[in-house]
Amino acid sequence: MMNRDELQEQIVAILVDDFEFENPGLTDNLRDDHGFDSIDAIELLAKIEKMLGFQLAREEKEKAMSIRTINDILDYIEAIQASHKS
Amino acid sequence: MKRRVVITACSAITPIGYKRSDIIESLQQGRSGVKPLRDDGLLTQYIHSRVFGTVDYPIDYGFTRKDTKTMGPVAFYACQVAKDVLATSGLEQEFITSGRLGVSFSSTHGSPTVQRNIYKTFFSQLQSEFSSIGAVDYLKSMVHTTAVNITRMFGITGRVIASSTACTTSSQSIGFGYEMIKYGMQDAMICGGADEYDTTTVAVFDNLLACSVDYNDRPECTPRPFDARRDGLVVGEGAGAVLLEEYESAKARGADILGEVIGFACNNNGGDLILPNLDGITATLRLALADADISPQDVDFVSAHATATKMGDVIEAQAIDAVYGSKPLVTGLKSYMGHTMGSCGAIEMILTLYMMEQGFIAPTLNLESVDERCSMLNHVREITNTETRVAAIQNFAFGGVNTCLLVANDR
Repeated sequence: MMNRDELQEQIVAILVDDFEFENPGLTDNLRDDHGFDSIDAIELLAKIEKMLGFQLAREEKEKAMSIRTINDILDYIEAIQASHKS
Repeated sequence: MKRRVVITACSAITPIGYKRSDIIESLQQGRSGVKPLRDDGLLTQYIHSRVFGTVDYPIDYGFTRKDTKTMGPVAFYACQVAKDVLATSGLEQEFITSGRLGVSFSSTHGSPTVQRNIYKTFFSQLQSEFSSIGAVDYLKSMVHTTAVNITRMFGITGRVIASSTACTTSSQSIGFGYEMIKYGMQDAMICGGADEYDTTTVAVFDNLLACSVDYNDRPECTPRPFDARRDGLVVGEGAGAVLLEEYESAKARGADILGEVIGFACNNNGGDLILPNLDGITATLRLALADADISPQDVDFVSAHATATKMGDVIEAQAIDAVYGSKPLVTGLKSYMGHTMGSCGAIEMILTLYMMEQGFIAPTLNLESVDERCSMLNHVREITNTETRVAAIQNFAFGGVNTCLLVANDR
C-alpha cells in the first residue's frame, strides 16, 4: 500500500508522460486547465488498476467520475486502497 | 439550384510520395511504390501474396495528444491530408466552423490495426487480470473514424458523410461532396478517403485468388493493369483529400482553382457482389457524361480503375471502348502504388490534377504486352505531353458499386 507522497509521484508522472500535462498543480481543474475529458478518465482508471495491482469494481469506477483535481485522484485512490485492505 | 463546384486544394499520402513534387517525379520516372509485404505477426504467414503498396517514409504530423487520443493510423493519414488542404486553402477560421463547410471522408473499415490489437488481447491475454483494450478503441476503429476525427481536429460543424464502400469509398466521398455543394446544401466540403497498412484486406483478396503472387521477388513489377502477364491486384495504403468549393465564392475570395468537378455518377450492378459487370459499368460512365452534359468526345483522359485482375481489366476495357472508343488516353494509376482501397479514388483524382496541371499523362507502369482483349484502347505507354481538358476517374467496388467522376481543367 502506497502512502500519499508515493501516490502523488506516480500519478503526476502518469499525467505528464502519458497525458502530456504541463506543470500539473494539485488543485488544477483537470478539464479546464489540462483538457482532461471522460475518455482520459477511463484511460487513467486502467492505469490506476495496473498501479494498484487489482481490478476496480464498476461502482468504484463510477465514483471516479466526480474527480476534478489531482488531489481528488489521490483521495480516490487512498479510499480504494483502504477499502481493499479492510 | 445547380451550382458549379471547383477543387481549390488537394493533398495525398501515397506509396509513391507525399509531397506534390515527389509524386510528380515518381510518375515521370516510372517509380513504383510496391514493396515486400510487412510482417504483422498475425496473418502474413498465411498469405500467398508478399507485396504491398507501402508508405515507408516518415511523416511529421505534429499532432498533440488531445488530437491523437481518438485516432488510429488511418485517422493520422486522414487528418494529415485534411490539415494540408485547409492550410493551403486560405479559408478563414470563421468559415471552417460556420456549418457551411462539411466533411465527406471515409475508409474501408476504420482502423484495422486497432481491431487487430483487440483480437491479440483476447487471444493472448485471456488469463490476464488486466485488459489492454483502450477506452477509445471504438472511436479509433469505427468506420467513420476518419471523418469525425477531421471534424474534431478542426472544429467543423457542417454535414458529415462517411460512405464506406470499399474501392469506391473516396470516389463516392468526392461525388457526394460535389452534390452537396452543387445542390446548395453546403458551400464547401473536405472530401476523400484513407486506408492504413492492413493484412486482413490482403488475406481476403488472396483467398479469392485476386492478389498478385507471381512477382513476390520483384514487387515493382506488379500490379500490371491491362498487361497479358498480370496476375492480380496489390493492396496498398494511403490517403487523399480534396477541398471542393462553390465556384462563385471560391473565385470571389481569389482561391487557386485546380479544376472543376463537372460530373459524377454512381450506380449498382443490381446483382452479383463480386463479378465485374459490363452493363453496370457502362451505364455509370454514360450517367456521368449526362450529369456533366458533355459528349464522350470531350473526354481526353481516362484514369481507369484497372486493378490488374484477370476479368476486371477486360470488362473495364470493354466499357471504355463502348462509351469512348479509342480516343481518350487511358492509364491505370494503380500500377504505381497498388490498390490503396478506400483512398484510391481520391488519390487517382489528385494524381490526375497534378498531371493536368503539368501537361503530361503518365503511362501505365508494367504494361509491356497489352492483353489482346484490352488492346482496343488508347493505352498510354510512355510519358505523353498533352493538354488534358477533361478527365474521367472511374472506380468500381465489391458490392457492385460503380462510380465515375469527371473533372475539367479550369486553369
